[in-house]
Amino acid sequence: MIEKKYRTILTDVKDGHTGIIVSIAGGKWATKRLADLGLSPGTMITVIRRSLFSGPVQIEVCGSKWVIGRGLASKIMVELI
Amino acid sequence: MTDEKKISMVLAGQGNTGKSAIFNYLTGLHQHIGNWAGKTIEKCEGTLFYNGYTIDVLDLPGIYSLTTYSVEEVISREYIIHQQPDCVINIIDATNLERNLIFTIQLLELECPIILALNMIDLAKKKGITVDYRKLQDILNVPVIPTIASRGSGLTRVVDNVIALKSQKTEHRIHPYGKEIEDCIGQLSLLLKTIDFPYPVRWVAIKLLEKDKDVTRLTAEKSPEILEKVKQLCEKLEEIHGHDSSLVIADERSHLAYQITREIETITTNRKTSLNDKLDAITTHRFTGYLVMIVILGGMFLTVFTFGNWLSGEFDTLFRNWHSWWINTIGISFLTALGWAAIESVLALVQIALPYILPFYILLYLLEDWGYISRISFLMDNLMHKMGIHGKACISFIIGFGCNVPGCLSCRIMESKRERFITAVLVTLVPCSAVSVIVFGLVGKYVGLLWALGLYLFAMIIIFVVGRISSKLLLGEPVELIMPMPGYKTPQLKTILYQTWDALKEFIFIAAPIVVISGVVIQAINLAGWMPAISSFLSPVTVKWLGLPAITGILLIFGILRKELILVMLAAYLGTTSFSDVLSAQQMITLAVVSMFYIPCVATISVLWKEYGWKKALAICVLEILFAIILAGLVKRMLDFVF
Repeated sequence: MIEKKYRTILTDVKDGHTGIIVSIAGGKWATKRLADLGLSPGTMITVIRRSLFSGPVQIEVCGSKWVIGRGLASKIMVELI
Repeated sequence: MTDEKKISMVLAGQGNTGKSAIFNYLTGLHQHIGNWAGKTIEKCEGTLFYNGYTIDVLDLPGIYSLTTYSVEEVISREYIIHQQPDCVINIIDATNLERNLIFTIQLLELECPIILALNMIDLAKKKGITVDYRKLQDILNVPVIPTIASRGSGLTRVVDNVIALKSQKTEHRIHPYGKEIEDCIGQLSLLLKTIDFPYPVRWVAIKLLEKDKDVTRLTAEKSPEILEKVKQLCEKLEEIHGHDSSLVIADERSHLAYQITREIETITTNRKTSLNDKLDAITTHRFTGYLVMIVILGGMFLTVFTFGNWLSGEFDTLFRNWHSWWINTIGISFLTALGWAAIESVLALVQIALPYILPFYILLYLLEDWGYISRISFLMDNLMHKMGIHGKACISFIIGFGCNVPGCLSCRIMESKRERFITAVLVTLVPCSAVSVIVFGLVGKYVGLLWALGLYLFAMIIIFVVGRISSKLLLGEPVELIMPMPGYKTPQLKTILYQTWDALKEFIFIAAPIVVISGVVIQAINLAGWMPAISSFLSPVTVKWLGLPAITGILLIFGILRKELILVMLAAYLGTTSFSDVLSAQQMITLAVVSMFYIPCVATISVLWKEYGWKKALAICVLEILFAIILAGLVKRMLDFVF
């Protein structure tokens, strides 16, 4: 239980916090797409900010900034560091 | 001309790397933009004459990988493999090195001659990023040239290198993946060598392990037994790594890009970065972000319409005497009347294009080049999702406010067919500048500005409702937004003007001919004396249901050409522009509502036809006519309580 305490989905990560991607539970298309952009398990990911009314999430990965839709972001599990 | 003096090169790279700027800089006016055969994707080609060489330059679409997710990616991949250009210029963004290198590694796998243009080094420097490009050159074994596309610096060196590369043979250095993957690639390569493939063997092996659909299908045709082996190897990889083999390869690439980046990049954070971050924090903030968006977009529309009304008025004065001059010089006959109809259509186009559409696009592309438009997509994504599309559609909507033609064309940025179609349908409901002329010239002027703005709000609500309904009707999974967020940068006048010209060109070449032809045809019907018959035929709808004067039937037919003609013709028929003498406030609002939605103008219809086929275009028209008539009738009845 203690281990899982720091694991959460990307949409629940607070603004400015960084974590490491543990798993991506999205469809094959989206998972591969993200992997091609450098987002895959083991990658460090920072949530820059989330938008109002459960909108998309703005993130930073390998020095690049991206916007990811809410649905997809909620399928990305991260371990906070 | 000898073959030695002819060189073909292609520009490849991810979006926002300054690829188009380089293309424009190299080819200038010697470019022509067409479509890829059978596709609605733009194909930009140009020619560069340099030191006695004729260099054909092709700008591939901006893509993020060379896998087969999208038409653009397939096109780019197929072109490089089959056309075998003399050189591929890979443009990479120095401020996003790692992300861009993933793409570069994929390009290198294709084993084509590559030159790297390390672009935006000025921006990288500002951000405190130094890139050791010589080291990158050594690691990748390809020429790397730092460039600043917006100023054209470094581009001559790129071209010099292209010419030098033509005469020498390059050796492809393999960038090895992890041991177990290399093992699989090696085993597959041995088998593949025996088959005749138009692709590099190593690349095919990698793609098979990545479970690429196209390559797997091709292999199945040539040698199905290899697929057995592929399956075995994939399973082996999956056992070792614990996830899909396609992801294993993608991860390896990212890892390689990460390693290279670490070796060549040093970052010293300085204060300039924080300015960009601060601006970003305000413009994407959950409260101030929306506030800034309303102010920016509101200011933009206000500027365009204030300027447009002034310039349009000036044109009115300028063109006023042309008709009598035409009659006096050529005389009155059936043919001269038709000739005048053609001229009048051109004048009407000028009067909408120059005062409204041109400034609109200049401001729009100013915002885009600055980097603001992606912020709007971010802010609006959630709302767009309720309509079954995502944040990027916002861009098409905003373009549609200027003119629906480029608005519909811009729907190509959407990833799936379903979303492209929904977005296009919704764009046709966006009040374009021609409709705005009616709304402000009729309702805004005679009923009140608040009523006019209310109509805009009404249009937004309608778009939202239609979007919700169509997303429910058209089955299919909505695609999630995955969009890069570029940093703010100083807008370049040249880039803005190029983009504005591109959008305006679509308006001129697609819209203008159709408008002129239909103008002449309708004038012919008018001269034949059929108009009264048509208006009385339409009177059950116009008079009984909508409560409008019978003549509006004719106006609405003219309005199909360009919506603002409804107002222009009304003035012509009445012989006055003080519309309040003949129309009540209620009638004006009803007429404005009909004009907003009743049918896309001919130019837009032709784009819908081209992009989605005549069946869908026709369906949209019929549905929108019915929809507008029912809606306006209901609005009229509701207004009965107000007036």
